[in-house]
Amino acid sequence: MTDTTITTQGGFGSSEPAAVELFNITKRFGDVLAVDDLTLAIGENKFFALLGPSGCGKTTTLRMIGGFEDPTEGTINLHGEDVTGLKAYRRPVNTVFQSYALFPHLSVFENVAFGLRRTNVDKGELEQRVAEMLDLVQLSGLDNRHPAKLSGGQQQRVALARALINHPRVLLLDEPLGALDLKLRKEMQIELKRIQQEVGITFIHVTHDQEEAMTMADTIAVMNKGKIERMGDPAEIYEDPRTAFVANFLGGSNLMPVTVIDRTAGSVATADGTTLFVPPKALSPDTHGFRVGVRPEKLNVYRPGSGDIPPNVLTGRVMDASFIGVSTHYVVRTSTAGDLSAVVQNLTGDRFSQGEEVSLGWHPERSFVIHDD
Amino acid sequence: MTTDEATSLVNVGARQAARRRKAVPYLLLLPGGLWLAIFYIAPMIQLVGISLQEGTYQTGYSMTWRWENYADAFALAGSHFLRSFLYAGAATLLALFIAYPLAYGIAFRGGKYKNLLLVLVLMPFLTPFLLRTLAWKVILADSGFVVETLKTLHIISPSGRILATGWAVVAGITYNFLAFMTLPIYVSLEKIHPSLIEAANDLYAKPVTAFRKVTLPLSMPGIVAGTLLTLIPAAGDFVNASLLGNPQRLMVGNIIDNRFLRIVDYPTAAALSFSLMLVILAIIIPYVRASGTEDLVA
Repeated sequence: MTDTTITTQGGFGSSEPAAVELFNITKRFGDVLAVDDLTLAIGENKFFALLGPSGCGKTTTLRMIGGFEDPTEGTINLHGEDVTGLKAYRRPVNTVFQSYALFPHLSVFENVAFGLRRTNVDKGELEQRVAEMLDLVQLSGLDNRHPAKLSGGQQQRVALARALINHPRVLLLDEPLGALDLKLRKEMQIELKRIQQEVGITFIHVTHDQEEAMTMADTIAVMNKGKIERMGDPAEIYEDPRTAFVANFLGGSNLMPVTVIDRTAGSVATADGTTLFVPPKALSPDTHGFRVGVRPEKLNVYRPGSGDIPPNVLTGRVMDASFIGVSTHYVVRTSTAGDLSAVVQNLTGDRFSQGEEVSLGWHPERSFVIHDD
Repeated sequence: MTTDEATSLVNVGARQAARRRKAVPYLLLLPGGLWLAIFYIAPMIQLVGISLQEGTYQTGYSMTWRWENYADAFALAGSHFLRSFLYAGAATLLALFIAYPLAYGIAFRGGKYKNLLLVLVLMPFLTPFLLRTLAWKVILADSGFVVETLKTLHIISPSGRILATGWAVVAGITYNFLAFMTLPIYVSLEKIHPSLIEAANDLYAKPVTAFRKVTLPLSMPGIVAGTLLTLIPAAGDFVNASLLGNPQRLMVGNIIDNRFLRIVDYPTAAALSFSLMLVILAIIIPYVRASGTEDLVA
């Protein structure tokens, strides 16, 4: 994507100001361009994920919203108010840090109460709110523990409680689940989503884990080299990633270079002349060289000559078949498009073995189109 | 061999291995323990013994359990005791106020020059202790630059001096022990992850509050270590007082030095040494408890 003005729900002309708006934000560290002319609006009460590989600028973007970095250029609005020059301690925003950053010298209670103690909340209310918050994150009874005596998952919950207790208008989460093991991470994903729905606060979540982003977020922005490449709801950008980067970063993809045969019929030709079909609307008038993509789980594997193969068919030989329980992953070498991967659900006991000749088939509407820059 | 026998053999082996593993920490402690026993505990017992003896160098000393030695020692050096802790305390405070900002600056603003700056802090140690102290004699000399400047600024009277006063001794001690204060504080500050300070800012703490509530408490172990490393040797120091101080107002270290090496009154010297140690212990034990650093190291 080359256009940098991307709008989600709210903001930019709608009557309700967005929770967070970034206008032409650029951040340089010396010669390094971390964030490149980013414009973005995040709606109220959204669970928004900034997804990308390390060094794509997602954390820098989050830190600028939190007030920990100043943008080199551009402005940041929170609920319509310009906060660009405002220090972190003056912003109605709280953060769950990557390593939790719990205060090691303070108890769980004092960690959670830290923000309230800075804002003249009276003692009774403070105690009540801390108790409620510890209840929300299921840590009641651990008030007097010190962070070092807590498990990773418990520390994570304290970090969350410590931020949420202040009723921030926006909660920033910097890879909050990165330090947890897989099982706990899955639990916390569901937990975080529940808490977000319960408290109704805008969550901005930075992660490099595409599955985590898709599990939790209403809207995902995929960042690459300081820019947002694609933004939308998880299903939308998964099904139509538009750029090769997004197609490969968000799940796996098979990409095949093709040329147009007939724009209205949606027919295209691969390098060796095999005809494939794509949704005609995916072919914009100026499309010439581009790639057709299809997700591995949308490819099915058939025995050659089988009756019900969909219109798009490529033949090849199974190079590798790995059985992983719910599905079998195949790598099929085709003369047309090189090695393609296919993920087939194990609905029947029928599987293909290495060296077997097979046909790969998929429905045209399951493919997406990537316009090469 | 039955499986039961095999299992029990394995168990015996495992138990022996476990016993060996248990012995390892004690074996590791052995050299240090022996060293302390031979060169610290034994002399200490001997020192207490001497402090209760009676006699002169010429006639020899004999054990008479003479507790009056302690009363005599205090009568002789009571004011020196007080002065020692006054000077040492003042120097420790002064060193703390100089060292903390210095360590803070190196730890949080040093960037790639951190190591170089630390070397600079240690640089004076490349010069012998005596030479460094003698240099202060020149710096604080009556017609020297420092005194002249202070006179011009009317901070000291035209006839005033610094050398041979308590100020000179405190300045000397402060300077000589500054690195012992700086390094532990630096280490404890360096360990504080910057995200902790960001977290405090994020939770509405202004920089001053973040310092008071996060940085300062987390650097307490360094402050405690630094003040102890300065206060303890400073209280027993005699070089600064003898080179920079007034001969009429010496520290307890000077008296001990005198009694041991010049007057050769071993019992009084031993009684003074042991008392000094007890007083220092009496000061630092409540100090370490009150500063509550056990929580931090736990």
